[in-house]
Amino acid sequence: MNVGLAIVAGIAVAGAVLAVSARDVRAAVLGILILLLAAPLVASPLPSPAAILARVASGLLAARFLTIGLRGETPTAGTRIGWPAEALAAAAAAVVGFGSHGLGALPLGPAEAQAAGFACIALAIGPLVTARDVLRLGIGAFVLVLGAVLVGIGLDGPPGDGGQLVSSFLTVALGGAVGVIGAAARSGGGYVAIDATAEPRGPRPPDAHRLVAPRDDRGAVPVGPVAGVPPGRTPRRPGPPRPPTVDVP
Amino acid sequence: MTVLPFLLVAAVGGTVSLIVRGSRGWSTAVAVGALLGMAVTAMAMSPTATIDIGGAVLAGSAWLRIYAILAAVVGLGLVAVDVTAFHEPDAPGVIVIASGAAVLAIALQDAGVAVLAATAGGLAGILVAAPLAGAARAAFVGARELRAIAIAGTLGILATAWLARPVGEIATQPAVFGLAYLAFGVAVAVRFGAIPFHQWAARVADAAPGVALPLLMAWLPAAFAAVALVWIDQSVALIALPLGTERALIAAVGTVSIVLGLVAAWIQDDLEHVVGYSIVADAGVALLGLAVLDPAGWEPARTWLLVFVVARSAFAAWVVAIHGGFGTRRLPELVGWARRAPVLAIALVAIAAASIGWPGLTAWDARSALIDLALPRPMAILVTIAPIGALAIYGRILLVGFGQPRDVVLEGRSERPRWPTPLPRRPMVGGPGLERGFERVAHGLSGSLDVLWVLPSAVRANRMGFAAIAVLLLSGLAFLVSGGGLGVPEAARAVPQAPASAGPTGPGSSQPPPSSPGPGSSAGPGSSESPGDGGSPTIQPSFAPVP
Repeated sequence: MNVGLAIVAGIAVAGAVLAVSARDVRAAVLGILILLLAAPLVASPLPSPAAILARVASGLLAARFLTIGLRGETPTAGTRIGWPAEALAAAAAAVVGFGSHGLGALPLGPAEAQAAGFACIALAIGPLVTARDVLRLGIGAFVLVLGAVLVGIGLDGPPGDGGQLVSSFLTVALGGAVGVIGAAARSGGGYVAIDATAEPRGPRPPDAHRLVAPRDDRGAVPVGPVAGVPPGRTPRRPGPPRPPTVDVP
Repeated sequence: MTVLPFLLVAAVGGTVSLIVRGSRGWSTAVAVGALLGMAVTAMAMSPTATIDIGGAVLAGSAWLRIYAILAAVVGLGLVAVDVTAFHEPDAPGVIVIASGAAVLAIALQDAGVAVLAATAGGLAGILVAAPLAGAARAAFVGARELRAIAIAGTLGILATAWLARPVGEIATQPAVFGLAYLAFGVAVAVRFGAIPFHQWAARVADAAPGVALPLLMAWLPAAFAAVALVWIDQSVALIALPLGTERALIAAVGTVSIVLGLVAAWIQDDLEHVVGYSIVADAGVALLGLAVLDPAGWEPARTWLLVFVVARSAFAAWVVAIHGGFGTRRLPELVGWARRAPVLAIALVAIAAASIGWPGLTAWDARSALIDLALPRPMAILVTIAPIGALAIYGRILLVGFGQPRDVVLEGRSERPRWPTPLPRRPMVGGPGLERGFERVAHGLSGSLDVLWVLPSAVRANRMGFAAIAVLLLSGLAFLVSGGGLGVPEAARAVPQAPASAGPTGPGSSQPPPSSPGPGSSAGPGSSESPGDGGSPTIQPSFAPVP
């Protein structure tokens, strides 16, 4: 195992953990930026300086697009299971990726890249499947694609300069897409727009002590602070209407 | 000429058009200029020219050339309809950029890099699916689309990376190839919004501007499918493995999409939904092309992709023109539309003919060939005649169109040419001879100024007519492609160059044309030719099962 590569891969995964678990939009963007800057370096042999420069520039541009689209103090829903659980899930996936390096055939890239890729994909599944706000979903999509690129590097080795250039285009496009969606959601009142047009399909029993915000007129769940609810928690979903009570004489 | 000038024009033109999106006129003008430039550079593209950019080989082909020409020409038509019917600020620029990204993906020889390019191109479409000034609904639709594109891209990246190496001992394990093949097949299905992956596509059809619909649901996914076709033929089909289950799964998704897509399109009242589901139905045929691991499926699959994208674009443009003209796209409110817009009625008939076709027409033959190759006989017969059911869709729309016009249609625009204001009459007051001559000249000049002064207003007053003409041209193009015009079957038959055969590099470098197999020959795509060298061994794919 290459210790240097392992450290860089660890930094990339840490960025991904921060991105998918943070409630503060700025922290989430910072996590994405860390992932974008570290991911090109998880390769052996390292890409050419021009390729690294292109990937770094595209990462900065993507982060800039994200900050343009996500300007403001509106928080995201954040992770439901907390960052330690996310980190543990990522670590487990990284172990699986490291252990299965090559996926049955001779690998051409470093095991650390495949480990980091598996970790990113595992981290992305949560937001992609369960996220109720568009920003988390966008960040999940971002992390998923970057994870797949890392797995590709682990299996097939780093692409040439041309491939790195196309990867840079993809990074910028991802940043722009998430930024655009975030901006549209913000102009619509908040990031919780994923269910703005659809009611939940069925009853969803709450977890123990889980507090869910009541839905507004549009059916969306507000994220901001609600009276009577401790910071970081969302209020309880109202139950079914109860029959009026009458005083028995 | 290589594909590079086309890509440069698309990148610069699309970016500038989006930067100046605040000014409708400039943004559209830049996009139109870029599309014209793309059409010219596409026509000048050599099918055999290759260029190496940092190890990524961009190779031309006859099919790529036609795809690029059609993308530019159809893009011009869509922008024309956009201008005359409903203007979407981002649509012209996105059409330019996405067309460039699609061509880049098809031109790239490395399937892994091509998937990245196709995914990046798909992301460009989010600009129109979730416009910057949009609200929660737009964000919801954009997020759904982003998720679909990301998942499809991830599956594609993983599949291509898995089989991109010397596979060693796993070469004898069908499961590995089967999984990779299935992953890419599912990725293409997700990108097309094929049933059962159609939820995001239905939302996009509801919310995205109509003029961008063919781009989001047909052109960009078609580029992704073209990449998948080449990858499957070069990485999976060459190693003859029994992949019956995987093929059956992909064929099942394709079949279900064809049948249920047509049913869904038939029962919809919203015309954009009708377009969306008819795209899903046609995409099912493209998916069947992926289920055919046989060289005989190469030509019909690529022919169908071109027929599909052009015909669906014409249909989408038709809907935008109707919506712009009458202010609604709900069929029950459009009773009598054909009486007010006869040119659009003719265009709809042409679109229906191009989409459905008849035995002997290139489109019909390509579709039935794919169905025959992918499905067992009894089911193939049923699925082959299923597209005839689309007659009910177009017939229903036409039937509504010939009813007694209602208020919505009567208050809408008409195709009949109009002049916004009567031209002033100038009586002759001068005496005979030279004086009258001077007066005639003066009246002529004044009359010209009168016409020129009112011209912009006249263009606005006749928007419906201009839109109808643009749609009619697009439907004519669709019919042409459907009939095998523009050399579509020959281009689809030509075999792309394998990565190893990339010849001299650099802009403008070109090679002698490869000896493309003649009509009827079934040289498969996997039998990669090496133009110019002549001595390299040709790999002949064997589709016999591995003992």
